[in-house]
Amino acid sequence: MNQRVWSFLVPLLSVIVALIIASFVILMIGKNPITAYAALVRGALGSKMAIASTIVKTTPLILTGLAVGFGFRAGLFNIGAEGQMIMGAMAATAFAINVGWMPAVLAIPLTMLVGMLAGAGYASIAGFLKAKTGAHEVVTTIMLNWIADYFSSYVVTVPMGVGFGTPKSPEIASSAKLPPLMVVQATELTSGIIVAVLAAVFIKILLDKTSKGYELKAAGFNPYAAEYGGIKLAENIVLAMAISGALAGLAGTLEVMGVHHRFLGTLSGGKGFDGISIALIGQNNPIGIIFAALLMGALRNGSNEMQFVGVPKHIIMIVQAIIIFLVAADRIVRTIFLRKKVAK
Amino acid sequence: MKRLLVLSLIVALSVFAMAFKVIMVTDVGGLGDKSFNDGTWEGIVRAAEEIGAEHKVIQSYEQADYIPNLTRAAQEADVVFAVGFMMTDALFKVAKQFPNVYFVGIDIVPPEGTSLPNVLCYIFKEEHAGFYAGYIAAAMTSTGKIGFVGGIPIPPVERFRYGYEAGAKIYSTLHKKKVDILRGYTNDFEDPKKGKDLTMAQYAQGADIVFLAAGACGNGGIEAAKEKMVALVGSDKLVDIIDYVVKNNKGFFAIGVDVDQDYMAPGVVLCSAMKGISMASYYGVKSAWDGTFEGGLKVLGVKEDGAGVSPMKYTKGMIPNRVIAELEYLTKLIKDGKLVIPDTEDALKAFQVPAISFPF
Repeated sequence: MNQRVWSFLVPLLSVIVALIIASFVILMIGKNPITAYAALVRGALGSKMAIASTIVKTTPLILTGLAVGFGFRAGLFNIGAEGQMIMGAMAATAFAINVGWMPAVLAIPLTMLVGMLAGAGYASIAGFLKAKTGAHEVVTTIMLNWIADYFSSYVVTVPMGVGFGTPKSPEIASSAKLPPLMVVQATELTSGIIVAVLAAVFIKILLDKTSKGYELKAAGFNPYAAEYGGIKLAENIVLAMAISGALAGLAGTLEVMGVHHRFLGTLSGGKGFDGISIALIGQNNPIGIIFAALLMGALRNGSNEMQFVGVPKHIIMIVQAIIIFLVAADRIVRTIFLRKKVAK
Repeated sequence: MKRLLVLSLIVALSVFAMAFKVIMVTDVGGLGDKSFNDGTWEGIVRAAEEIGAEHKVIQSYEQADYIPNLTRAAQEADVVFAVGFMMTDALFKVAKQFPNVYFVGIDIVPPEGTSLPNVLCYIFKEEHAGFYAGYIAAAMTSTGKIGFVGGIPIPPVERFRYGYEAGAKIYSTLHKKKVDILRGYTNDFEDPKKGKDLTMAQYAQGADIVFLAAGACGNGGIEAAKEKMVALVGSDKLVDIIDYVVKNNKGFFAIGVDVDQDYMAPGVVLCSAMKGISMASYYGVKSAWDGTFEGGLKVLGVKEDGAGVSPMKYTKGMIPNRVIAELEYLTKLIKDGKLVIPDTEDALKAFQVPAISFPF
């Protein structure tokens, strides 16, 4: 079977299988799966507000998915998207608070740039350590996550903390806020989604159409062969980590510019880690990642509505886990599918 | 299609059939924390059952969920509870859109300059509850070191700490006992593992009593205390623990938070620093029901029964009667305004123990 069709079919079938398995769990807790899934769909796509919330949730997931997916393609397992996202968001906030005098045309792209640079810089530490000392990026990025986590807790409670309420920074200048595409009551759909999709397209072009992308992929595919072929490994490792970090940093930055308009202590909320599963479901393909993120965003958002019919939202975590399991073990799906075909 | 039609009909009907509905939207923690969220929920359930109202909990997954969840809740309910300090901004954004729905914020202070007639906020003088914890801990420590494990250092958690430190200071000044305080934060309210690790670390540093102001993280701290105590006593029976503590004058203790957590490890949880959360949520529902709802901010302390200490059902026998009597007396001083427990970092630094002479 055509590889391209497969990479599309596997996640799709996995979702269906996962929903079927989870429906048994819903039955087991004494609820009706049909009611639950109806609520899920209604909550994810059933109203203007639902769609807006789904897209809001999808936006950062696309970028962290891209960050991890891009790393995978270059042979790097970047578990640090969480930390890079925090650092990006924090730097962008520090910058955006002070740009009230700048017009939006300048403030918006500059804030994004600052956030991306911070994410890139932070990820480069891990890249540099790998290139110079061989320290594995899985270990270093996990450690860097903790540093970012605690550092940000400190920043929002002491130097940048304001007011009574959630540990938070002051609001960013209005010229640095992303204009909303749509406002439904208190829910704002930000234009961040456009940036996220453009980033995916950019990464797609970078990987598939440029010689640098070819180098990065080659280094990821077989580092020894790549090095033999004259590709500088060290340089490519640092660059790949930097690009990956920039994407994660952008995820955090867009959350600040478009959703919260300030830095909050728990802004990342595990989205960096979600990037890993999204990259997996999206098969590390930038366009696939957009859909994987949308799926995840829709499931998450819809699960809020599921609670209104009495089904705990943790069901969605089960669904998510099964999807990841099935995609990761796509041979299982393949076998089931082929058997069926033979039986026909 | 038919099924969908029937389904939406049922949903529509059930919406009309409901008279009065209360929905509580929690932070990421959710029910089952055995402290803050469960305490609020208990008050809601009690009030809702009295008036026959429907009640529901919606849990948030992340901060981006606050607004959609509160909005959805407001579309359906008559009273919406926003539980937890983190939801401050979202609550006021959403409440503005639904002037006909009552909102109750627990642990939430209206942001400066905002006041909505349909939003009632409750906060508590945690420092009062913390004071009891600190005083009892200082009285009971045999190592001269007591610990504090906080969740995220948000103001309510910090107020617990101010009161705790002040309480310990009052005891140590009045009784000339040297008491050191270890401080740590889990930066989290959900993961019991983090609470357990930090509590264990403080025991290792010489503390023998740890106050856990960390939501569900604290449950892990209680577990840690229980493990240490059982290892020390060689039994997990309450009588054995009491015998051991009374005879040897030492042990490992935890202090619970928000609600009465003494039952979670009888004899090991020395006492609990309680907030009147369930009382606040109870009155929140009742006032909306009987039409006496008034927006604004209510601060509940010892005087208003909004803060206090658990009845110490299991541990009262270990704590000297004198300490209990002193606490009674000090409670009266706080109620009369003669003893002011610090509620900010600066006030804590400046805090001097007033001259107190017990009449006994």
